[in-house]
Amino acid sequence: MAEVRPDEISAILRKQLSGFESEVDVYDVGTVLQVGDGIARVYGLSKVMASELVEFPNDVIGMVLNLDEDSVGCVLFGESSLVKEGDNVKRTKKVASIPVGEEMLGRVVNPLGTPIDGKGAIKAKKFLPIERKALGVIQRQPVKEPLQTGIAAVDAMIPIGRGQRELIIGDRQTGKTAVAIDTIINQKYTHTEESKSLGVKPVYCIYVAIGQKSSTVAQVVAKLYEQGAMDYTTIVTASAWEPAPLQYIAPYSGATLGEYFRDSGKHALVIYDDLSKQAAAYRELSLLLRRPPGREAYPGDVFYLHSRLLERASKLSDDLGGGSLTALPIIETQQGDVSAYIPTNVISITDGQIYLESSLFNSGVRPAINVGISVSRVGGNAQIKAMKKVAGSLKLDLAQYRELEAFAKFGSDLDQSTLRTLNKGARLVELLKQGQYAPITVERQIISIFLGTRGFMDSIPVPDVKRFEKEAVEFFEVKHKNIFDSLKKEKDISKDLEEKINSAAQEFLKVFKKST
Amino acid sequence: MSDFRVSHRYAKSLLETALDKKNLENVSSDILYLVKILNQNWRLQLMLENPVIRPEKKLSILKEVFQKNISKDSVKFLEFIVSKRRESLLLSISNRFLELHDQHQGIAEVVVTAASEFTEEQKKVLKEKLENILSKKVRLSFNIKQDLVGGFIAKAGDTLYDASIRHQLEVLRKQFLSGEVSFN
Repeated sequence: MAEVRPDEISAILRKQLSGFESEVDVYDVGTVLQVGDGIARVYGLSKVMASELVEFPNDVIGMVLNLDEDSVGCVLFGESSLVKEGDNVKRTKKVASIPVGEEMLGRVVNPLGTPIDGKGAIKAKKFLPIERKALGVIQRQPVKEPLQTGIAAVDAMIPIGRGQRELIIGDRQTGKTAVAIDTIINQKYTHTEESKSLGVKPVYCIYVAIGQKSSTVAQVVAKLYEQGAMDYTTIVTASAWEPAPLQYIAPYSGATLGEYFRDSGKHALVIYDDLSKQAAAYRELSLLLRRPPGREAYPGDVFYLHSRLLERASKLSDDLGGGSLTALPIIETQQGDVSAYIPTNVISITDGQIYLESSLFNSGVRPAINVGISVSRVGGNAQIKAMKKVAGSLKLDLAQYRELEAFAKFGSDLDQSTLRTLNKGARLVELLKQGQYAPITVERQIISIFLGTRGFMDSIPVPDVKRFEKEAVEFFEVKHKNIFDSLKKEKDISKDLEEKINSAAQEFLKVFKKST
Repeated sequence: MSDFRVSHRYAKSLLETALDKKNLENVSSDILYLVKILNQNWRLQLMLENPVIRPEKKLSILKEVFQKNISKDSVKFLEFIVSKRRESLLLSISNRFLELHDQHQGIAEVVVTAASEFTEEQKKVLKEKLENILSKKVRLSFNIKQDLVGGFIAKAGDTLYDASIRHQLEVLRKQFLSGEVSFN
């Protein structure tokens, strides 16, 4: 960089100073009465709005949460040791807001929209408030397009539609984040030219990390870069070391980012990872603000905390552009206890849940989805017809298998039909196993599930199932590419196509070599 | 800050009674005197706050100090406060009363902080200007603070009219930091 000459500086200074020579700045102020634990009580600021941002000295920003008779309760987004009693507090006349737009894609920001990835300032043109009202009934329409997660078990049995709210719930170390990250990675296909020609609209992703280790967030960011998923993704992070108020507002910031895409007729996916930590941060904040504690010491409005957030996910009516905002909140349970306060609340708000179990995870079923108690209440309408046809019997077969599985453990003599059900079930479970960061396209999912449910794998030994599936799909791709093409175009399995798949599968069975 | 709630209620009732009896002028000058004395004598304030001293004794001291200089109604007010055992809040009640009184009379208290002394002429102009902006009568008081560098700050209620050089330098610093001004 060239040296700056002194006369250049003075020229700029003169220009700047001449700009506000005669200006008198008018602003409202208050005085800090009490500060500590990230909370400040302020006297004055008589015209301040709820959730307005206020400025403390040393560039600490705060947000007004309590408006009392004679004082104002603020939460601090910065170091509370930088604020002292008697300091002046300035109103900004802005409610907490975040820059939105395409400029935010590929960036890592904090909940106030400040970039923390070291890539310079974000030149966004538009700011939107963090807390926004959810849409009414008239502006919405039922969910109708699928959001492919790339995870066969989810797309087949717990389908998610664009505009849906699907909870991912499970203990620690069960792969909750993995499901979410895979979903983000799988949205890459929606940004390709091929998808454009097939009428699949791109999905922009927002990953909100709340109360996580910074190292974990860094890992996620690195993984998304590696997979080329950052081009259409924004990451909002309030790590564990950050003050509770920032963790509390992080999901709302993420929702606002997503709403920008939704309102401009595009599609967005927001992942809140995880809301139990957000609830804990909000509890900390409420207790410090001396709001009365309720069950599990959460404040009375903890239900509203999550309901107003998740209500913002929606599918817009065609008049408003038909955009959508899909939400995938994550909740961590303790020892599988879904009847705790926060899990039950969020389960009741969302349109279904994906339940992950540590016992399944440990027995090698990954993703460890418990299909029996996972549901999707609205996604079925969004599932493509071809998938609906092949997956219909899948859920039934697995349910029968689970019922008999416990019973068969006694090792008694089993009749032919029971054995058949058990055999098939074991193969289907094997079929639905899937590696991390390896999303599968719908067409491939359809073919492999077709092979599984129609009994083509019944003669294959269980350890060979995965290899069989892989080779079968490759075989289809090389020799019967037209099957994939028509699946992509028609999104349905006609009688004609079904026969084609059947004969191709027979053909493959003959060439497949079982391991000995 | 529950003090505020209590003092507000007493001050409001005092103001309303004075308005009913149409002796607001007297009462407000009495209270002004009271505040002055209390501020000057911290021992008096300490005595009022002391819970060990019996209320009767406090009242007799108060009467002795003030009786000669304030009106009967104001003495009654003192008796009332002591009987309610709120004598420790006397100063904050009085201050709140003066605020409410100003509000009622449409007077704005403006504190002007400047880097250097204002001339009488300047004071007059400033007062007129402020009265125009606030559309209220203005009572000015002046402070000198060297670290403003130049210019002045006028504080009316919670609103600051900041025309100080220090503030302008601060704004400039922020502009440089945020990169709004660049050297290219």
